[in-house]
Formats: sequence, structure tokens, C-alpha cells
Amino acid sequence: MARTRLLDLDRMSFRFVVGALAAIAFFFLIFPTLIVLLTSFTSTASLRFPPPGYSLRWYAALLDARQMQQAALNSLKVAIAATALSILLGTSGALAIGRSTARWAKILDSIFMSPLLLPALAFGFAALLYFSLIGVPLSLATLVLGHVAVCVPFVLRTTIASLAQLDPALLDASLSLGAGRFFTFRRITLPLIGRGIAAGAFLAFMASFDNVPVSLFLTDARTEVLPIHLWQIIDTDLDVRTAAASGLLILATIALMAAAERFAGLSKQLH
Amino acid sequence: MTAAPAADGPEWRLLLPLGAFFVLFFAAPLIVLLLVSLSDGLALNAFSLTHYARFLSDSFSLSILVDTLALGAKATAVCLLFGLPVAWVCVHASPRLRSLLLFLVILPILTSVVVRTFAWIVILGQQGILNKTFLSLGLIDAPLRLLFSEVGVVMVLAQVQMPLMVLPLITTLQRIDPNLADASRALGAGHWRTFRRVILPLWLPGLVAGCILVFAACTTAFVTQTLIGGARLVYMPLYIYQQAAGANNWPFAAAMSVLLMISVLLVVYLLNLCGRSRWATRHG
Amino acid sequence: MSRRVGRRDFLRAGVAAGALALLPRGAPAAEPLVVATFPGTWNEAHRDVLAPYFRKKTGADVIQTIMLATDQVAKLEAAHGKPPFDVAIMDEGPLLDAVKAGVLEKYPVEKSPNYKDLVPAFQDPWGPKISLQVIGIGFNPKKIKERPKSWNDLFNPAYKGRVGLTALNSTLGMAFMVDLAKTRGGGESDIEPAFKALKELLPSVGAISANLGAHAALFQQEQIDIAPYNFNFVQTLKEKGVDIDFATLDTGIPAWRTSLHVVKNAVQPDLAVQYIDAHISPEVQEDMERSPYWVIPTNRKVPLKGEIVKQVAKSQDDLAKLKYQDWVKINQHRSEWIERFNRDIKL
Repeated sequence: MARTRLLDLDRMSFRFVVGALAAIAFFFLIFPTLIVLLTSFTSTASLRFPPPGYSLRWYAALLDARQMQQAALNSLKVAIAATALSILLGTSGALAIGRSTARWAKILDSIFMSPLLLPALAFGFAALLYFSLIGVPLSLATLVLGHVAVCVPFVLRTTIASLAQLDPALLDASLSLGAGRFFTFRRITLPLIGRGIAAGAFLAFMASFDNVPVSLFLTDARTEVLPIHLWQIIDTDLDVRTAAASGLLILATIALMAAAERFAGLSKQLH
Repeated sequence: MTAAPAADGPEWRLLLPLGAFFVLFFAAPLIVLLLVSLSDGLALNAFSLTHYARFLSDSFSLSILVDTLALGAKATAVCLLFGLPVAWVCVHASPRLRSLLLFLVILPILTSVVVRTFAWIVILGQQGILNKTFLSLGLIDAPLRLLFSEVGVVMVLAQVQMPLMVLPLITTLQRIDPNLADASRALGAGHWRTFRRVILPLWLPGLVAGCILVFAACTTAFVTQTLIGGARLVYMPLYIYQQAAGANNWPFAAAMSVLLMISVLLVVYLLNLCGRSRWATRHG
Repeated sequence: MSRRVGRRDFLRAGVAAGALALLPRGAPAAEPLVVATFPGTWNEAHRDVLAPYFRKKTGADVIQTIMLATDQVAKLEAAHGKPPFDVAIMDEGPLLDAVKAGVLEKYPVEKSPNYKDLVPAFQDPWGPKISLQVIGIGFNPKKIKERPKSWNDLFNPAYKGRVGLTALNSTLGMAFMVDLAKTRGGGESDIEPAFKALKELLPSVGAISANLGAHAALFQQEQIDIAPYNFNFVQTLKEKGVDIDFATLDTGIPAWRTSLHVVKNAVQPDLAVQYIDAHISPEVQEDMERSPYWVIPTNRKVPLKGEIVKQVAKSQDDLAKLKYQDWVKINQHRSEWIERFNRDIKL
């Protein structure tokens, strides 16, 4: 009798601690995002929560924010180009090392994933020095190259994970039935790892669009990207238009995520 | 048969694009960084260790490096404390709830870091929500200084990087055979004991992976550190940026960047060692 | 089967959207002009008054990059060939550095019709002075009932934890330190009294802003109640509904001149001159000399009025009598003082 009660206390205390900590964590995970959304609808020029009144004036003000729009356009262009390049490089790289268990494959895997571990700020500065040394002027193109370095690990990771789940027997069957290597790749391998590539591409796109440390060094006023522009405004002004822009970004991210979930099963690819 | 031999032709051809890109646009810049840190500028004359000596002999600079690593450690600890329960709940939840919870976990990574940090400015201020709530609940008499304090920076960093901790935790937890926990409890061990003796050792690779990712991200989190930290809390990213962009002191900034990279890699290496410790392999 | 079709459709739509995004939008009248501006009142005034006037006159848009003068000089020095912006805005101190570094063009007076209408004290071969900035004490009138009169009020123990300061990389910070030294027996050649006073003040300090714009945020979020501040910025914040007011110092009003310049190797030098000329035109200066900007005009045709007359000077001749600083002396020690300040304030 006493033993059962002790076990109950043990189970309840465990569940309570885990539940309470998790609840606090989930609350703080979404709370700031909600605050931004709510504050963006304020009717005053000052950032207060709760807002004294509600209005859409700051979203309307975004229509006139030409510079912000230009920055957003630059970010979009760079992210699309960086993602496309990451897909090409990442998929070919994953195919090369993902199916091998040799030692060199594991070493290469660590090397190609290292951009995620090294301080991106240091790499951004290194890229600036590099381009200055070889005499290449900064432009959106050099920015894309800088972004690809820190985005390709995402595609690599998810594609390798996908390949690991690929049954090699399928490839053997195709080859033994007379199909060529490229045909096998196109019709068998690619569709099966397609979702992995898509998930990686999605992450790479967001990583490029939101990137700050590399963009900090590789952009200037003529090639401004959105995160830098927003940061500059926040750091100098605390303008409420930042809240509206943030609100839009949040809504766009949610929409993109829902699409990625629907078409690429994003959450399943990430764990 | 199945796995292609290491020196197979097509494999090397597939490797070429990514490999070439890495050499040209990742390795080469880092080498240039190292070279500039050892010389006097882009002209690359006069090789010496002066910049490193200058940094390492200056207590102000050293304190900034130490503060940055300490900041990373504290934020990682907070992430770990809250990340473990979150991952646990995600894995043990019903499938429908799980999709929603995963969505909540992933959404922050995908929202711009500037946007997320900006939200915290509104929350942490003297007139912010947190202080207003605490005051009305009577928990404090005067508003706390959360903004521009290290506590504030740790809090915001932990929240911003939490998904990086949770995702590897979820991946590893899912791979642990649930029968093991059941068997342990059937044999009479309580929940806490099972967790400590059975789950945790098996979970260790996930913990290490999460800690590594979060630590690396926190030490280089420029935007969060500067927006929440202000002018009086200086960490390595701001210091490097001030020297590189503000003072045009490229060699010194390069030396600092190299030192930061080495420090972070050292910690990552140590964390990896923890993951492969005897304790883990004995119980894993 | 249907699942795969769905994914392919999505990919195709994505590629199409991407291609559309890469197409140029309807061509504007001319390439935008990239200019540097200061945070706070300045970037707002330039965005809301100067840029529309400029666009009407030339059809070109303006892209602003918000940067302190010292950072502008650093960026211009680092850029080999193509400068990151065509128009620089400088305070007196950094202007001397910029001229020495050779990053500015001499101002083509013949291309600027409004130049001759400037008060002679504000004409300069490197670029016209577009305004004066004066500093004093910004304070929250709801929390601080007694109007501050001098820097000594910052040291009042009643304001402990509510005092704000700003970093020395901005002219506000530097001018404050120099003036603080002057009120305590020192000056440009002897800054020790200021640093000694700083050590005294630090325990009372609530927050230190890394730059001017962040200083506004401190007041807006009520992190501080009293701080050295620019006259213009206080007015702009007041109009936004922030509880703040400006107090002039009875020890004399410190002031400095701000000017616009064409950068060397500018991508669009002619547009740059037109932009600067627009800023010194009577229309723009009159439009900026009102709420919420209160930018002090330098064109003879624009009389002083409103808040400026109430708090700063009654006429343009009086402007010459304000307290100016010796920037040549200050520049010799600038980096040393900035470094020392940063070390002293670090927590």
C-alpha cells in the first residue's frame, strides 16, 4: 500500500515538474511573437504594451516605406539565389558522401557542417577581407556567395538524413533491371529524397533571408537587406513601423511554414 | 554491391561542386582572416603576433572574451533546463498535439532574429509587461533593471536559441526504445530514478548536440547582445564589429575573430568529449 | 501520385514567383541617390521633408543610410573606389578628419544657386552648413519637477538610477564631456575634470546609449529621466507624445555646426549637389523649422521663430554668440578619449 502511494508521488512530482517547466518554456516561445503582432496595431507613435488604441496606420505606412520595400526585395533575390545554389551544391555533395560509411565521408561531413559551428560574424568579416584582397567589389552576387556558405549545411543535413532512409535494394533493383545510373537517380532516388531536399531548401531560404552576421559585413547602403535595415531602424529610432514590418514577416513566415508542412512534411524532416 | 568504393569515379565528380565551393569561398576567406591577423593589413607585410599579444595582455579585452564565453554557458544552461521538458512533452504528446507543439518550437527559428529581439525590448523595459505584471502582483517594489543587464541578455538569448536545443533533443529521445523505460519501472524504479539512470545516459548524444549548437549560436549572437545589452555590456561580436567597421582596425579585429573561433571550437570539442565519456558508453 | 503532382506544382509556382521577383519593377525616373543621415530628428526630417522636395525637383528617390559622422569617415576610408554613399553629413569634428583623409569633394558652389543666400558664417568650401545643433538637458517633466539648470543637476542624488549618458562616438557625447570639463575648470586641453566627474556619476547612471537614436528609445521606454540631449531631438520626441522637455544650461549653450558634403568618386555627383542645394533652399529650411523638427535654419531668408527663439537664440546674429568647441584640439585626443570612456563605463 505504502509503496503504491510513494510511486504515485514520484510519478506526480515528475509529471508536475516536467509539465510546469515545459509550460513556462512554451509560453515564452510564443509570447514575444504575440507581443510584436499586437504592438504593431497600436494607434500611437510610441511602443507601449498594451497599446492605448488600435489602428492599421503603421501597416499603411509600410506602403510608403520605399527603402524598406527595396531592402525586402534585395533579401528575396539573394535568398532565392542562395537557396538555388545551396540545393545544387548540397544535393550533389550529399549524394557523394551520404551513402558511404567510409571514414573520409564522415570527416567531409563534419567539414561541410562546420559553418554552423563557427561564429558567423567571424566568417562574414573573413569574407569581406577575402573579397577586398582579391579585388572583387561588393555586390548582391558576393552576398549570395557568402550566404551559400552558411546555408548549404541545412540542405546537406536533411538530404543526407533522407538518403540514410533510402533502401539500397531499390537502387540495386533498378540497376539490375537495366536502367542507367542517371535514369535511376532521376526516377528513383530524386523523388524519394525530394522531401528531404525541400525541407533543407526551406531552412536555407529562411537562413539567408534572416541572416545578419554575414550581411553585416558584405552589404552597404546600395545593397541593403531587410534584417539590416530593420536593425538599423530599431537601433536608431524604435519606430513603430518596425513593429508593422515585423508583423508582416511573422505572418509571412507562418504562411510559408504551413506550405512547407503541407508539401514537404517539414516537421517530419526535422526530427 | 551497395556502398560504392571510396575512390569511385562518379562519387568524386559529385563531390567536386561542393568541394570547390568550400575551398574557394569558405576555406580561402578563413585563411585570409588568419593571414591578416598575423600581419599589418591587406598588404600582408610584416608577419608577427603583435595583435594576439595586444589582445591577450589586455585585461579589458580578455574580460570581454571571458564574458562572452560565460554568457554562452549561462544561456546554454537555461536552454537545457527548459529544453529537456519541452522535448519530453513533444515526444510523449498525442500526434495531433505534437504537430502543433513542433510548429511552436520551429516558428521562432524561422522568424527574423531582429523581430524576436525587438519584441523583448517591449517586454523587458522599465514600463514593459514583465515589470508591470510583477509590480501589480506585488512581487517587487520598484521596476527591475532587465533591459541592459546580463540577466536580460541571458533570458532573451535562451528564448531565441531554444529551438536549436529542442530539435536534437526530440530526435534522440524518439530513438530511445520506450520498452527500456517500461522495463525499468516494472522492476520497481520510480520515474525520477528511471530518468536519471536509464533515459538520461541514452539521451546524452542529443543533449551534447543541442548544447553545442546553442553555445555556438549564443556566443556569436550580435543583434541580441547589442540590442538588449546596450553600450555597457560589451561582448566579442560587438567588439570585433567596432574594431572592424568603426575603427578600420582590420588586423586587430581579425586576431579577435580568430581567437573567438578557437575558443568556441575548444568548447565544442570539450562538449563532444563529454558526450563520449565513459559514463555515457557504460550506460548507453 | 496526386501528392507528387502537388509538390511539383508548388515547386513550379515557387520558381515562377521567384522569376517574377527578379524582374525589375517599373523603371523609376532616375537611379536613387544614396545619402548618409544622422539618427533621430535628422533621418525623419530628411525622409519627410527633404526627400519629397528633392523627388519633385529631380524625379529621383533617396536611399538613406543612418550613420554617425565618425562611422561615415571610417566607411569612406575603407571603401576603395566606389563609396557606399554619395552625400555625407558631418559635424565639425569628424569633418576635419574627413578632409584630412581626402574622402570629400570640394563643394561646386557654381552649381548650387542657394549657396549665396547662406549667412556667411555658414559657408564653407567643403560644403554648406545646413544647421546648428545645440545641446542641453533633456528631462522628463512628469518625474522631475524642478527644471534642471546645469550639468550639476545630473549629479543630484534624487535622480539616482535615472540618469542617462551617451557614448563618445557621437558629437553629443563628445561635446557633453568637453563642456562638463569646462564647467569644472578644464576644457579641450584638460579633460581630466570630466573623467573624474564621470567616475562620480557612474553609480547614478541608469543606461548609456551606444548611439544617438538609442538615446531616444531610452526616454521613450522610460529607462531614464534626465540626460544630456540635443534640442532638436527633444522637440521631435515631445511631438511623438513622449514625456520629455528641454532645459537650456545657464552655463552657456554649447553648439556646433552640421554640414552636407559631396563624397569623392560619388556615383551621382550632380544629383548629390542638387540634394545638398535643396537642403539649403529657403523652402526646405522653412519647412524644417517647425514642429516636430525645429531645425535651426542657416539661410538668410529664413528668420528664426517658434521654439528656437524661445529657447536658443532670438536672431541669426545671436547664433554666433553660442559656445563653440575647438575641434582641432579635440580630434587629437578623440580615439584616446573614446577608448578611455568605453573602458570606464564597462560593467
